[in-house]
Amino acid sequence: MLGFAKGLGYTLKKLSEKKVTHSYPDVPYPMPPRFRGIQHFSPEKCIVCNQCARICPTQCIQLTGKPHPDPEKKGKIIDTYDINFEICILCDLCTEVCPTEAIVMTNNFELAAYSRDELYKDLKWLDDNNTNVREEN
Amino acid sequence: MQMRTEPTALSTTISPDTGIRTEEMLLNVGPQHPSTHGVFRLIVKIDGETITEANPVIGYLHRGTEKLAEDLNYTQIIPYTDRLDYVSAMTNNYVLCHAVETMMGLEIPERAEFLRLIAMELNRIASHLVWWGTYLLDIGAMSPFLYAFRDREMILDLFNELCGARMTFNYMRIGGVKWDAPPGWIDKVKEFVQYMKKQLPSYHNLVTGNEIFINRLKGIGKFDAQTALDYSLSGVMLRCTGIRWDLRKDEPYCIYDRFDFDVPVATEGDCMARYLLRMAEIEQSLRILEQALEQFPSEGEIMGKVPRVIRPPVGETFVRIEAPRGEIGVYIASQGKDKPWRLKFRRPSFNNLQILPELLKGENIANMVAILGSIDIVLGEVDA
Repeated sequence: MLGFAKGLGYTLKKLSEKKVTHSYPDVPYPMPPRFRGIQHFSPEKCIVCNQCARICPTQCIQLTGKPHPDPEKKGKIIDTYDINFEICILCDLCTEVCPTEAIVMTNNFELAAYSRDELYKDLKWLDDNNTNVREEN
Repeated sequence: MQMRTEPTALSTTISPDTGIRTEEMLLNVGPQHPSTHGVFRLIVKIDGETITEANPVIGYLHRGTEKLAEDLNYTQIIPYTDRLDYVSAMTNNYVLCHAVETMMGLEIPERAEFLRLIAMELNRIASHLVWWGTYLLDIGAMSPFLYAFRDREMILDLFNELCGARMTFNYMRIGGVKWDAPPGWIDKVKEFVQYMKKQLPSYHNLVTGNEIFINRLKGIGKFDAQTALDYSLSGVMLRCTGIRWDLRKDEPYCIYDRFDFDVPVATEGDCMARYLLRMAEIEQSLRILEQALEQFPSEGEIMGKVPRVIRPPVGETFVRIEAPRGEIGVYIASQGKDKPWRLKFRRPSFNNLQILPELLKGENIANMVAILGSIDIVLGEVDA
């Protein structure tokens, strides 16, 4: 019976201790600076190098470019940029390879949606998703 | 183990004394059953309360990682390894990187090696805590689970700060690690190690001495060393039969040879021995961590010199390391391209699970969950 009583004693001792639970979602849960939430995309920074689409292990990024409207300038600018968030695994590789930091991570992680269509994030959505942007990428 | 086995025919017996007819019964456990910790199905044939035959059915979580890997370059495979043994993703990350680095003969900077080791050992503690909590939940004790997850949460928070994810880390890269330790992180880990050292005795107070618990585990699920070797078991499943085999000591990888630690071994080969070994392993991990944190280099690179496109030379390699569940190995056959020609994971959970039908034979049905839990499987790894 001694072992049994010891265990009970420990439980009773813990009864008066401070709670460790967090009353999420009533109180927001802060995430550390490196946390990987959904991406933010800045179209003006993108040079259409396709590296993010190529490194993505699940092929969830699709993008197209168009010639620069200013005929004097070389290169392309971004036309469409879609992330299929149904299959994105937030592995961080797209932000790692981006040479201009056009695609960066944010701390936003509350991503539940009512329909699958809502999980297709287009250029406008990703551009507007500009809160809690991660500084170090 | 076959992917799907049909149980043999049910037998009927008529008692010569009473004339009462008794029949064997099929009982389906899972695939959605809380004690299987995933999607694992077990078809057991029972005679009264005694198991006469057990047929495991696996593959519900099969994603074809090995085949998918043939179409991915080496860096892209790392996030997939996170999803094999998702309770201990750091060791999976490491084993793949280690295999490629071995093939290419890359040199890893000291600081990166330390960060890898600290991450792996923290993950080993987290993994054993999950096992401890859920195993006791299976046995019928509710509160240890809460204590285990309270302490595991601290480790996950540390990982979250280090690499930005709580379970699917994708932290290691071929040639080093992705992130350096953030300012103050090492001190936080030091604090955690001291905290955990104080917590361990209370775990033993709470559970280990409990008479009901001891009676449930002592002498249950017993096997000997030869059986363990025949079934190619590893990790705690092997060490509980008296064989001292830990790759961290016997085939040192990373920088394990620099630290002083013991390999806990038991000779009983039953569930209780496995329980005590896992608890002792947490202690040893804390010992390694303490030394590693003390010797942690104050500065240095975290990425070695790695070519821009990773192309291991033509040939094949197999490396293995000690994961919390046993030996995890990676076999890579390369044809000199940026993608592997063939990649195979030796998953400890899959190998350790093979012994289950033999252990269950003749056991009481109430012991089924105790035995399955003591093997410590993660279905993501069993099915790959």
